[in-house]
Amino acid sequence: MEISTLPISASQRGKLISAGYTSLSSLSSLSPSSLAQDLKISETEALQILKVASQRNGLNKFENGSRAIVNGAQTAWDMLHEEESSIRITTSCSDLDEILGGGISPKEVTEIGGVPGIGKTQLAIQLAVNVQIPADYGGLGGKAIYIDTEGSFMVERALQIAEACAQDMLEYNSLLRKDFKPCQVNKEPKEFLDNIFYFRVCTYTEQIAVINYLEKFIFEHKDVGKVDYLEVKVIIIDSITFHFRQDFEDMALRTRLLGGMALKLMKLAKKFNLAVVLLNQVTTKFMDGSFQLTLALGDSWAHASTNRIILYWNGNERYAYIDKSPSLRSASASYTVTGKGIRNSASNCKRVKLM
Amino acid sequence: MAPLKGLERNYPLIDSNFQKFCATHGIFTLEDFLVHDIYLLAALAERDYASDKLKQGITQILTILDCQSRPCINGLELLKDAENNKCVLSTGCERIDALLQGGLRGGHVTEIVGPSSSGKTQFCLQAASNVARQYSGRVMYFDSGNSFSPKRIAQFLHSSDRPSTKASEVSKKIMSNILHHSIFDIFTLLDMLHQLVTNLKTQVDYQVRILIIDSLSSLIAPVLGGGGVHGHGLMVSAGFLLKELAHEHNLSILVTNHMVAGEAGMSKPALGESWKNIPHVRLMLSRRHGTNVSSISLLKHTYLESRIQFSFIQLCLVAQDLEAHHKRSIVADM
Repeated sequence: MEISTLPISASQRGKLISAGYTSLSSLSSLSPSSLAQDLKISETEALQILKVASQRNGLNKFENGSRAIVNGAQTAWDMLHEEESSIRITTSCSDLDEILGGGISPKEVTEIGGVPGIGKTQLAIQLAVNVQIPADYGGLGGKAIYIDTEGSFMVERALQIAEACAQDMLEYNSLLRKDFKPCQVNKEPKEFLDNIFYFRVCTYTEQIAVINYLEKFIFEHKDVGKVDYLEVKVIIIDSITFHFRQDFEDMALRTRLLGGMALKLMKLAKKFNLAVVLLNQVTTKFMDGSFQLTLALGDSWAHASTNRIILYWNGNERYAYIDKSPSLRSASASYTVTGKGIRNSASNCKRVKLM
Repeated sequence: MAPLKGLERNYPLIDSNFQKFCATHGIFTLEDFLVHDIYLLAALAERDYASDKLKQGITQILTILDCQSRPCINGLELLKDAENNKCVLSTGCERIDALLQGGLRGGHVTEIVGPSSSGKTQFCLQAASNVARQYSGRVMYFDSGNSFSPKRIAQFLHSSDRPSTKASEVSKKIMSNILHHSIFDIFTLLDMLHQLVTNLKTQVDYQVRILIIDSLSSLIAPVLGGGGVHGHGLMVSAGFLLKELAHEHNLSILVTNHMVAGEAGMSKPALGESWKNIPHVRLMLSRRHGTNVSSISLLKHTYLESRIQFSFIQLCLVAQDLEAHHKRSIVADM
């Protein structure tokens, strides 16, 4: 039944099938008013249904002269060049950047998980600040959206990290760009805070609603033609687990909601060319005869992100390990959390461990 | 009602008189026509005053129904079709090709199942790069997780060629044959598949060798379950559409699936029992924790013995230093 493959609501589908419309051809030469009369719905609804059906029908007709086998496809060669010229968001820790291939890459959904206290929120705030580094300093020069589900975002800490970042940029300016024209962009720490959009969500429905709303929000904040207008370049969700972990009775519903949420975030990342960073909690799982540390939310969620990074303690040091990535090698690197934010760890035996 | 009414435009014999006649016998759609006794209907039409027109109408409907059925084909024709049209595509890894007795076969829907980070995307990327390199024709890659990495494809291509000045030109030609499309919901996937079916029917010189969907399960998971059967219906229609594509246009189709918790702590492939019978070949990947050794086993095949298993090493190298690192793609090792 072709009607069941159209993206319409369940009640509309039920009405269509009970009235006898089971194939697309039966809808092809129908006027909205007669359909509305037949199904006892409003004319606007009938028009909407017919539009969706004609769109599918239009795809089934051959267009003369169109050489593309599927509209909107991109060749791997073009994508390679696009990827080579894309700028990544630095984490301010060069070891971490090295194993990440330069930093957090846009157009991908990166999931970062770790035990409590390892520095996930610190890393998130660092990324929200670093995404704003102007293009002249090798950054993306964009705004950040921070969706806080746990209430762990500290404005004072963000200001502290922003001050450190501004200071680093000033030093870079004076040390390395002596012979060039000095960069006029000197960011005030408070300007960094100006460019972080903060959403606080308290239930899982609010979380899903905010993610649905993001597309409209980002579109409204896109380049409006003004010089120096920044676009949103990173969406950080801290953390996606919190409202889904406890008191969720229907596990099947949880899997469906998480799957739908993941696809929407992927779509946002691809459409607006921004990075999505999701913070997750950890749990233990009995695998291969021992208990291993894995990210929460189960097996189905494990496939939802493009990259997965696990943060863990090794002795007294904080380490990050790449668990899943389509193009990066499995490796781990150490980092520290300082007053200035995330930085390289200063230990003697610090070495990037490759698998 | 809807279907018979709709036919009136194209087939004037099925006018309102005919429709009224059918309605008096409880026939409103083409499907109702199939259920009824045609001889009885013809006899009743004889007794009606406009019997000739009605009988012509019945014949017209029967012709329409005939056009909708599939042509009959015998075993010898099927064998000839299998030998000439359905070619086998090498995956780029000798042992996996040996496991599959040649590789990915045209006309087959091959499914790769595995837990997170077991090598499914790497397998897809390697198959894509190898098919684009060795065979003429396009590679369609439908990606639902933004995990298509052109850098990795370039690595696979460079690992097998000698570095030379012509390498980048050759790479360009090969990589231009890999078409990537991002798909984020099941309805878009169905639209794309319909579009592909239509375009392949009408553009005969455009050859697509393989269609890779990574991953199909994340597209289906949000609609599956929830008490209704609509999700299952969408999944099964997608599966049948893929099988039709594969058979009619001699494509090989590769889809990925993830694993969920099953009974007694064992994992099982996602998408449930209804999906189990749709792919022709099912391969399962599993990775030993903390190492980069994966093993692959054959869960289901239309004519091979299943449950054969062997291990392979999966090496992923970052292409930052082309001269220093020696790149190797997925190699098999017993």
